[in-house]
Amino acid sequence: MATMLDIKNLHARVGEGADAKEILRGIDLTVGAGEVHAIMGPNGSGKSTLAGVLAGRPGYTVTEGEVLYEGRDLLGLAAEERARHGIFLAFQYPVEIPGVNNMYFLRAALNAVRKSRGENELDAGQFLKAVRTKLKLLDIGEDLLQRAVNVGFSGGEKKRNEIFQMAMLEPKLAILDETDSGLDIDALRVVATGVNRLRDPARSIVLITHYQRLLEYIEPDRVHVLGGGKILQSGDKTLALELEKRGYAHLGSAA
Amino acid sequence: MTAAIKPETAPYLEAFRSQEGNADEPDWLLDRRAAALKQFAALGFPTRRQEPWRFTNLAPLAGAVFPPVPRPEPATHRLLLEPYLVGGAAHRIVLIDGYVVPELSPIGRLPKGVWLGSTARALAERPDLAEAGFDERDASSAQPFAALNGAFFGDGFVLALAPGAVLEAPVEIIHVGRAGAHSLHPRSAVIAGAGSRAMLVETFCGGGAGWTNGVLRIELGADASLDHVRVQDEALDAIHFGATRARLARGARYEGFTLTTGARLSRQDVHVAIEGEGARCGVNGAYLLRGEQEATTATVIDHAAIGGTTREVFKGVIEDRAHGVFLGRIAVRPGADKTDAHQLNRNLLLSPRAAVDTKPELEILADDVKCSHGATVGDLDEAALFYLRSRGIDEVAARRMLIEAFAADAIEGAVPVGELRVHLRRRLGVWLEQRGSS
Repeated sequence: MATMLDIKNLHARVGEGADAKEILRGIDLTVGAGEVHAIMGPNGSGKSTLAGVLAGRPGYTVTEGEVLYEGRDLLGLAAEERARHGIFLAFQYPVEIPGVNNMYFLRAALNAVRKSRGENELDAGQFLKAVRTKLKLLDIGEDLLQRAVNVGFSGGEKKRNEIFQMAMLEPKLAILDETDSGLDIDALRVVATGVNRLRDPARSIVLITHYQRLLEYIEPDRVHVLGGGKILQSGDKTLALELEKRGYAHLGSAA
Repeated sequence: MTAAIKPETAPYLEAFRSQEGNADEPDWLLDRRAAALKQFAALGFPTRRQEPWRFTNLAPLAGAVFPPVPRPEPATHRLLLEPYLVGGAAHRIVLIDGYVVPELSPIGRLPKGVWLGSTARALAERPDLAEAGFDERDASSAQPFAALNGAFFGDGFVLALAPGAVLEAPVEIIHVGRAGAHSLHPRSAVIAGAGSRAMLVETFCGGGAGWTNGVLRIELGADASLDHVRVQDEALDAIHFGATRARLARGARYEGFTLTTGARLSRQDVHVAIEGEGARCGVNGAYLLRGEQEATTATVIDHAAIGGTTREVFKGVIEDRAHGVFLGRIAVRPGADKTDAHQLNRNLLLSPRAAVDTKPELEILADDVKCSHGATVGDLDEAALFYLRSRGIDEVAARRMLIEAFAADAIEGAVPVGELRVHLRRRLGVWLEQRGSS
């Protein structure tokens, strides 16, 4: 199987100068094409930092190691270039952008991605058609589309909007950063169903989560436990169940 | 008089003495011109020691003399007015260097009870309107440049609506400045009778590097309604001063929006007097500044009657070495109980050398009022910027999207008339394009 993502000895810190703090302390992780990997770990273990470094969020400095995406260096690319190459980050806290219409934003994003792939840009009619197709696939209503990006959305609506964007942009590597946090069971089911429908042999998914609950709905190929900025343990889906029973404290002491 | 003359006013007094062409004017007007000139001579240019002028740099004005522009020859070249037109049906007046050009001014059919034409024509045909519109006995003449306008004005426009008259299409006034180092002093008036309704779109444009010093008086009778858009897009080496003074009777409604994108040095003074019970005003706008532009927005809302409403939001986008100033004062006089007034000034500084001075002010001397004010100064939201980029939108486009959203919000939230909103959004788009290409 082709390798989608290859992280080697990744060290990264947040902040600058005297305030800088090392968060990632040597991550090694390989994700094959079409695989779903879950990364679990307690608060402060470095889960969101890893997601941010992969997506190109400003504020992090990689001090050691490398990340290869489809065999090419990822870390030298700007955030928008990563997106255009097929990386998608579903935000833990989707950002509210007053005054920017959700449809307008998404069309600009989709056309930027399509243009870089050498595909034609979609006009308003073609775009709307694509939107309707994806909404149907995900069982999402049209109510979110005419509002400003995430403004006034409930927690569940924000997460649904993330999954909808993912469906529209059709990434090769989707990183879902605590997409399950703050969701009630119904919203969780909607989001999980959406993710499952987007599973594809050519699409890899990295699920970052604190709880095992999400994995009852999205079955991972591999589960990794992050602690202290390193992968402490890797295994199949049974590892998640074990964590549920024994908790992170046990692993923390082993680290 | 001699002892009271400020030295910087001398060239203008000299110009007044030597100008011709006012001799056939009525005595009341000649008297008012003389009184206004005397006022200007006594006041002189404002200095930075005067609080309302503390942040306004008048050096470009004080460093040169701008004699009043002579009545211009008819336009010999095509004017590019298209980008400034609202589109659709409109009653249009075009002024070049402060004088109405009839052949460029398709006023169109006016309903009964509506008078629209040049100030010069109003003086000749309807002195009653002219006199009502140019009453200088109130406080506006205490502003030296308004006084200078009173002495020198040559033309402008007058819109008068009889009680109950309704004008469905907008009145479009386009001021084209072509003069070099001259001053232009358009003087205009809107006199709206009880229950009348109109829309007014004023645009200041053109390539001239002169000094526009305009005055507009607005009188709204009981329950009269005026939507007023003012677009100032003069050349980047021009100087622009504009004073709008509105008086609102009982139940009147004034909804104003100003978009400032032009001139090297500009200042707009808006004064709204809530004189009748339950009158309401919207005084809103955006100033978009770049290069070395300096722009002051100074507003005074004077609540003198019970139950008045003010909604005021100004947004500034300032980059390069530009400097924005917002001075907003809301005064609630004793007895103006149940006043409901909210003011907000928000600024986006897009470069380290961009600057803004903002001074919101509330003075409340009445009871049972709902008033608030606030000001913010900030940069683009980094989290929003990353969110857009993480979806494939490049940084330049993402920044533009956020700047547009910031400014468009001022328009969307403040302009109730759809076609005026569309017009302003288009002007905003033009500014964003120019910004991107400079």
